[in-house]
Amino acid sequence: MLYVKDLHKSYEVGKVRYEVLKGVDFHVAQGEFVAVMGPSGSGKTTLLNCISCYIPFDSGSITVGGSKLAGQSEDNLARIRNTKLGFVFQDFMLLDGLTIRENILIPRIIQGEVKPDGEELADKLTDLFGIGHILNKYPAEISGGEKQRAAVARSLINNPMILLADEPTGNLDSKSSRAVIETFIEARNKMSATVFMVTHDSFAASFCDRVILLKDGMIYRQLEKTGNQGEFQDQLLEVIREMSELEVSL
Amino acid sequence: MTLTMKTMEQKLQKAGRKHSRLYLFCNFTALMIISAYSALMCSETVQTVFPSGGDSRKQMYFIFAMTLAGCIVFTIYAVGLFFRHKSAQLGILMALGASRKRLLPGLFREVLFLSGTSAAAGILAGFPFVWLIWSLFRLVLVDSSEMELVLDYRCLFLSLAFFLLVVGLACLTAWRYLKKTNIMEVIREEHINEPVKELGRWCGPLGLLLIFAGGVMGYCAPFIWEKLFSAYAPSWASLLYAPMFVGLYMMMLYTVVYGWGKHKKNPYKKIISRGMMKFQARQTVNNLLVVTLLMAGGCFAMFYLPASGTSAVLGYVNYSHDYFYQYPVDQAVPGEDAVKELAGEYGLSTKDWGGCDYIMLGIGGTAEMADEGGRYHVEYLPVLGEARFLSEDGFHALTGEYVDVAPGTYFGINNREESNIYLNEGAQDLTNMVTGKQIPTQFAGCLHYDLMSDSSGYYVLDRGDYELLEEGLTDSWRGRILQFNVEGKDSYPFAREFYLRFLHSFDESCEYHREYDRVAKMRAEEAGETYWMDTESGDGFRVSYEEWESMIFQSGWKYQPKFRIMLLNDYLCMMGVLYMMFLFIFIVCLTTSLVVCYTRCQTIAMNNRYIFDDLKKLGASPAFLAGEVKSQCGSVFGVPGVVGMSVMYVLFAMILYANDGRITDYEAAALLICLALVLLIGLGIGAVYRRTAVGIMRQLGIGLAEGIR
Repeated sequence: MLYVKDLHKSYEVGKVRYEVLKGVDFHVAQGEFVAVMGPSGSGKTTLLNCISCYIPFDSGSITVGGSKLAGQSEDNLARIRNTKLGFVFQDFMLLDGLTIRENILIPRIIQGEVKPDGEELADKLTDLFGIGHILNKYPAEISGGEKQRAAVARSLINNPMILLADEPTGNLDSKSSRAVIETFIEARNKMSATVFMVTHDSFAASFCDRVILLKDGMIYRQLEKTGNQGEFQDQLLEVIREMSELEVSL
Repeated sequence: MTLTMKTMEQKLQKAGRKHSRLYLFCNFTALMIISAYSALMCSETVQTVFPSGGDSRKQMYFIFAMTLAGCIVFTIYAVGLFFRHKSAQLGILMALGASRKRLLPGLFREVLFLSGTSAAAGILAGFPFVWLIWSLFRLVLVDSSEMELVLDYRCLFLSLAFFLLVVGLACLTAWRYLKKTNIMEVIREEHINEPVKELGRWCGPLGLLLIFAGGVMGYCAPFIWEKLFSAYAPSWASLLYAPMFVGLYMMMLYTVVYGWGKHKKNPYKKIISRGMMKFQARQTVNNLLVVTLLMAGGCFAMFYLPASGTSAVLGYVNYSHDYFYQYPVDQAVPGEDAVKELAGEYGLSTKDWGGCDYIMLGIGGTAEMADEGGRYHVEYLPVLGEARFLSEDGFHALTGEYVDVAPGTYFGINNREESNIYLNEGAQDLTNMVTGKQIPTQFAGCLHYDLMSDSSGYYVLDRGDYELLEEGLTDSWRGRILQFNVEGKDSYPFAREFYLRFLHSFDESCEYHREYDRVAKMRAEEAGETYWMDTESGDGFRVSYEEWESMIFQSGWKYQPKFRIMLLNDYLCMMGVLYMMFLFIFIVCLTTSLVVCYTRCQTIAMNNRYIFDDLKKLGASPAFLAGEVKSQCGSVFGVPGVVGMSVMYVLFAMILYANDGRITDYEAAALLICLALVLLIGLGIGAVYRRTAVGIMRQLGIGLAEGIR
């Protein structure tokens, strides 16, 4: 589904060059729910932005559903974003001037006219995520949790190959966070969606099948969930503590 | 309704009305200002009155260039601001898979519509705007036949060029955003700071120094160049003013980054407002610079009125006689009896009659002879030009002052201020232009009589020399001066009737400008050249009896009399077009400045709303928040106002000083009036600042009760 090989990405600030990703390798299988964790500056968001085709990368390769991102034209990248990828952002990124229904349908609108099947899917998704009652409201009129669930519905409207989420619970309270995570699980279970999520939140990550831990632009460790969610969270916290201690000793 | 890209874009445009309105307002204002200015500048009304190649015309063009530059920077800023807000929307659509091709039609449709309609509306509004202001001037201030507004539609070329610039800029910016490959950058654009490269705390004082140095260098360069190289300063010498602009930039940078208050005692004072300004410093500094230049340009135009009006009006008031006129003796001009009879018809009686004859002679002097390459050499010519000479008896008859002029010398007649710089003080020869009789002479000093001080000049000779040179002169080289007072209160209708009779008594041989010099013409013809006043260069100096009410006739006719009541009553009327144009320029510059300041302050509210919200959450009181708003708005309105007006005031005083190496009493009075005007303008700016700050506080939901105290 998603293959990332020897990915390198650096930024230049003035004359100084900062290498953010230093050869990242991993893959995500169809229907898998994977999280990426790591301390600030470890390269999590940069990695996600590269996979999302939001920013160009220096070297290495990213393959989504058989399509290599490197060397693609702007138009092709846009098409990949629209048809193969779904996005959920930390600050929701809903457009204020559109209703929730219209926001959910944006990826379809971008393709052209919205056909009845698109509207039906929108209704189905909102029912699935418990936001059917806010379809005709505007973003300013609903809560943060509802906004994020609407954003998840939007990310799924084109039946993408993979759903990419950047700190989806970062701006939410615990109750709303849980509701959003549950939407991902619902999407995975009922729509066979693949989810790739960047998060700081060990509680959110503990619902995933696998967690990739990044440190200084490289993969520090990958953990697979073998037990229940609580045990997996403990396991995650232990590795995070280990990473912090290593940081202090250095 | 079926959802399509187009309907979605329409909905999004509707949601972004607030930002669109600001963009429309900025474009509309810029286009209206430029259209109105260019319409008036190119109008027949102004083109006819402003002397071709004259300082007033150069001043008008110079300020137009400044206004144009200001409006260009402003429209660039406006389009940038619009797209900063639009970028989040564009970025989200790009992130969700909208390609450049998909977004391009809708985006271009929107920017073309917004920029096109606002710019077209601005152009269309420019004409009613100029007509309205001009009609208001005519209704309230001054009206004359010259004031009739005759527009030349060639001015539309300027407006259209600016229209294309605005639309082009909008499209270019749209294209620039669509071309961005980093989508996250597009999404976050609105929140990206625009810090400017800090230069250190020294940039404020150095800026002040550069302003002073640039002013002095630019001002002194032409004089120094002439002294050193005996050549007119080349046009690039004006570049020596350039450090002033660098200095202004540094000052504005210092204002934005550090602020001018004393922070040593309380380094945290205004730290938030300074921080907000600092992180949008690039645009803020640009805006402040533009406003400073516009304020300076506006003041430059405004100062023209008191500077020329004060000395003229005070001069008229101080004339010793109500009526003073002179004419060649071959003209049948009303004499004392005819005037007394006419005065009687108006129930007036006259008194203090005085008069004398004068002769017109060729006078020697030094001339700057231009060489190739802008250099010149100074050469003495025994017969340089024409001048009017009285005998010492004639001077006594007019002034009651006895003066003993030594044979072989001459006196020049200056005003009490000694501000007439056109007197020829270097003549060594005087010539009877009919007989060719020439005698040696030398300048003996100045006598004072305000009524006889003008750019053509009157001179006084020894009785013997006068008689010697008078011999053989024909009537066209002889003239007579008469003056009188009116008993009690003067009558304007009488003065006007007398003026018309006086005017109609002249034949066409006297229908020429006072700069028209028969001696210089003879000299040119002897050299086989065409006298410059008879060429195209002299077109601006043509006078016609038919247009006797025009400014060029009233201020330039060779035999224009000085009737105090008419001068005082008609001065504004005569100078109407000139003064009203400068008043208009002032209004335009001030309006543009205020619009730029207002827009800048609006962006403070829009861009920093979240900071104010955070401050509220941290427990900041309404008074504190209001202080932060006022501090920023105060800097935006205050600093360019103070700097622009102060710099121009000092520069203007220097220009007045440069005229004759001193500040005369009249000029001092003019400077005082200018100072009062500056204070008035300051009060006006203060009022707009207050309203803007209150509006912003309202937008940010800051408690006004505490805020505006």
